[in-house]
Amino acid sequence: MKKTGKIVLACLLAAAMLSATACGGRSSSTKSSSGTHDTSADAIIKAGMSADISSLDPHDHNDVPSSYATRHIYSNLVRVNEENEVVGDLAESWEYVDDTTVKFKLKEGVQFSDGTPLTSEDVKFSLERQKESAKVGHLVSMIDNVEVVDDLNFIIHMNQPSNTLLTSLAHSGGAILCKSYTEKLEAEGKKIADAPMGSGPYTFVSWQAGSQLELKRNDNYFDKERAAKNGGIILKPITEETSRTIALENGELDLLLNVGTNDAQKIRDNENLALDEYQSSQVEMFVMNTQKAPFDNPLVRQAMNYAINKDDALIVAVNGEGEVVDTYLAPGAIGVQDTAVKYEYNPEKAKELLAEAGYANGFTFTTFLSGDKRARAATAIQANLQQIGVTMKIEQMESSTFYERTGNGEHDACMAGWVANAEPDNTYRPLFYSTNAGAGGNRAMYKNPEVDALIDDAVTNRDAAQVEEDYKEIQRIVSEDAIWTPLYSEKGLIARNKDLAGLEISSFNMHVLTGLHYEQ
Amino acid sequence: MYKYVLKRLLMLIPVILGVSFLVFFIMSLAPGDPARTILGETAPIESVMALREELGLNDPVIVRYVNYMADLLHGDLGESYKTGQPVISEILSRFPATLTLAFWGMLFAVVLSIPIGIISATKQYSIMDRVSMVFALLGVATPNFWLGLMLIIGFSLNLKWFPSGGNDGWSSLVLPVITLGTGCMASITRITRSSMLEVIRQDYIRTAKAKGVNKKAVIYKHALKNALIPVVTVVGLQFGSLLGGAVLTESVFSWPGVGTFLVNSIKAQDTPAVLGCVIVFCICFSIVNLVVDILYAYIDPRIKSKYK
Amino acid sequence: MAKTTTVQKKRSMASEIWRRLRRDKLAMLGLAILVILALMAIFADVIADYDTKVITQNISNRLQEPSLEHWCGTDEFGRDIFARLVHGSRVSLVVGLVSVTISLVLGGTLGSIAGYYGGKVDNVIMRIMDIFLAVPSILLAMTIVAALGTSLFNVMLAIGISGIPGYARIIRASVMSIKDQEFVEASRAIGAKSPTTIFREILPNCLAPIIVQATLSVASAILSTASLSFIGLGVQPPDPEWGAMLSGGRNYLRDALHLTLFPGLAIVITILALNLLGDGLRDALDPRLKQ
Repeated sequence: MKKTGKIVLACLLAAAMLSATACGGRSSSTKSSSGTHDTSADAIIKAGMSADISSLDPHDHNDVPSSYATRHIYSNLVRVNEENEVVGDLAESWEYVDDTTVKFKLKEGVQFSDGTPLTSEDVKFSLERQKESAKVGHLVSMIDNVEVVDDLNFIIHMNQPSNTLLTSLAHSGGAILCKSYTEKLEAEGKKIADAPMGSGPYTFVSWQAGSQLELKRNDNYFDKERAAKNGGIILKPITEETSRTIALENGELDLLLNVGTNDAQKIRDNENLALDEYQSSQVEMFVMNTQKAPFDNPLVRQAMNYAINKDDALIVAVNGEGEVVDTYLAPGAIGVQDTAVKYEYNPEKAKELLAEAGYANGFTFTTFLSGDKRARAATAIQANLQQIGVTMKIEQMESSTFYERTGNGEHDACMAGWVANAEPDNTYRPLFYSTNAGAGGNRAMYKNPEVDALIDDAVTNRDAAQVEEDYKEIQRIVSEDAIWTPLYSEKGLIARNKDLAGLEISSFNMHVLTGLHYEQ
Repeated sequence: MYKYVLKRLLMLIPVILGVSFLVFFIMSLAPGDPARTILGETAPIESVMALREELGLNDPVIVRYVNYMADLLHGDLGESYKTGQPVISEILSRFPATLTLAFWGMLFAVVLSIPIGIISATKQYSIMDRVSMVFALLGVATPNFWLGLMLIIGFSLNLKWFPSGGNDGWSSLVLPVITLGTGCMASITRITRSSMLEVIRQDYIRTAKAKGVNKKAVIYKHALKNALIPVVTVVGLQFGSLLGGAVLTESVFSWPGVGTFLVNSIKAQDTPAVLGCVIVFCICFSIVNLVVDILYAYIDPRIKSKYK
Repeated sequence: MAKTTTVQKKRSMASEIWRRLRRDKLAMLGLAILVILALMAIFADVIADYDTKVITQNISNRLQEPSLEHWCGTDEFGRDIFARLVHGSRVSLVVGLVSVTISLVLGGTLGSIAGYYGGKVDNVIMRIMDIFLAVPSILLAMTIVAALGTSLFNVMLAIGISGIPGYARIIRASVMSIKDQEFVEASRAIGAKSPTTIFREILPNCLAPIIVQATLSVASAILSTASLSFIGLGVQPPDPEWGAMLSGGRNYLRDALHLTLFPGLAIVITILALNLLGDGLRDALDPRLKQ
């Protein structure tokens, strides 16, 4: 008996080792996945993502995984389409009456999934509820009030001119809730996070935290063209990169929204899978504290820009799956302008600049960071800087500590990243505005009145050409001041079964899953 | 004995008070702003300020502690900063998965490792003894994530015997149970072996053997029982820690357990969620330790005299 | 006069133990491995130069399989893994041994007091241990970073403290099962003080579980350094350390197994040596095996 147990154990372990090593490199061609899929319009599509949903209340989250769920349950007034243009969703049309007044008209006949008609009252209720939210309220802070004209017409009054209104309304926080349903639920002491109901392409079925969210097609959806081409969607959070890819390779998933950069090549090599690559709105950078010596000297900061070999950072951090950048915004972001000064990798030039700045013998400083990707990029930078006689120490910390300490300006330099959303002001303001120095997001502690004025102008000026000029100018100034070394932008990587079609990809992680279906 | 059990259960109250005070204090000492951590690096400062206000983080620590304890006395563990859901329901929705994994993992470990330990002891220095030692050492030195991923690559990706993750029926349980169990087996096997060796050498066993009592009978009747005390202790300790969640295993197998929830809550500085988890663990540990202490009394009647 | 006899007695006891240990071939093998590991750590700079081998990157040569030039292959930065293992032993061996010693000494003392005296003392000590058992170790580590900073000693302290309750429970159990045996009562009967009884009579008789637990937990201590380095406690890049090397290879498991395999083997070899030596020591120290 006991002997058997031991032998079984030994065999199990041996088999595990053998089968694990046996697979090395070769993609298994044993499985044939095509032909076995449900090609009907009722197929359930299983999608994997890297993190769990935090809440199904659109006003109680501001994270990507949760927005996959709420954007498919609810509809917004407007949405950002594949060409990054704002188009109507629930709104039939809108019109600027003056700089602070916008008239909206809703589409006729829209109902919530329970059959309740969607009216201006629901819009007013939702936007006012959003304004109260700590997580997404700031997005609509420019809205003073919503004036209901009739069931389909309403007017948004703003407290100041703002160009960010429409993109903010397209954010997942701008979801329109059903007033009567929400009020009834909340009166019963329940939360809409537990039983979300909207007018989106799907209705809520179930959610097990940490495990899966299940949605089914809303047959009552108002936009027939954009109605779901599948019977439902199951979203599964799988945090471990390797496990996530294997789940897709095994056919346990149809779609994988976040492919680990080390696994991209495996997907490309797999004849049953397809890899969709897109420019993301994410940029990674080495940020210098412009208030502290030696980085208060622009020459030193420029020297860093010459000394850092961005290719090294790109390769070690994300296995080369991305592109190096000179711009201060990711190539996939809206409002990116190619006016940034380019600093080619040139250690000799860096040394000259250091000598000119009075640091011919180099110096020592500490870089704060959080997360293993940034640790790898920093380690590569550390080796680059060693070449010009600069010693960089690395101090890793938990993200909470990182925010606190860089927020206080304790850092000499830090590794940071930024994911832009559809509104450029949400990027330029936190990163470069002087009052946001430190905790606000401006970790370079950069203070330049000229840049502040340009940011303010871009958000209020109704002349689109001038707004573009403003952003061009900002990019030029900050890159001349060399407050960061922009490093790289990681590719967006989505993997799917090769027969699965209809995914609508967005640079802002707002992919639309409604069109997904299997083709024969 | 009943009186003893009752007394120990009453002791839970000061223990919970102690642990909640300690953890609350620790959490408030750690640098960082939960509001910022929850909202992430791209959130504007106004949003962070608003969330701080909403969560009551602008109150002094002592006020927050008193409020928390007042709620706790009413059995209310509060709401998670991050998800806004009641902490108790967050934990209860994950605890069954953790319990399942811990139970089967422990059973797997105990069923295999105690017999292996006994064989190793009775046939000391035999090939079996050596092999089991090497496996035990491999087991303890192999990180869970490594073994887990290897098992997934081997049995899920290549052989297609089991799913790669999730909590969906018995087949999804096999790989995580082996992963968790292997780590626990190591010390149980080694402790069983060494305690058995210890007891086998004691005089009364030698006497029994010398008297010509059947060798097997000696081992199972006398030796095993007396060797069990350290074994039970280690099993209890490991079971306790498994109930606290096995973060790496959970992450590798996307197992929706409390371990991951706790670690994410610690990272988000979600004090109510962390405290809730810690209090639940504390109750689990205390109950497991109580059971272990009671088992001592059954194993060794001399110890019983103390439990009055 | 009396003093010399004690010293002589002690010396003869040590030499007796050494004599017995020397006869145990496996224990000597374990000792030999440990000596080699120690020498490797001490003469790391002679084996591989730190600046040119351990931290110098060669991105174009990354993730290379083991070869004659790189015995254990290269890592994600193209650095020589063997050189990093050799230098990493300096940190890993010290962390493993010192943190276990901290848990053992503190946990052992508390556990033996609780087990020996029983009753209220036992109850109070063990309930405090229950509290410590429930505090997640990562939280404890973060607090130590916040309060004491990020030195290597603090890493060992963090790992050491979280191990205390476990040792306390194991040693308490052994003490409880032994303290009523005849030889302990005999010692008390001749008027020995309690600490004397604990250290002279009880502890030597419950060495078996202690040695097993201690030798095995060296491995888990080394493994936990990896998770601590991510929160800033412990070795920071580019310095090598076994636990961090192992966890750093996690995302390369399917492409470059050697990144995790060799640090893992290094840990296995270390605890194998400790176990072999530990088993031998236990036999050599076993009071019942005295003539």
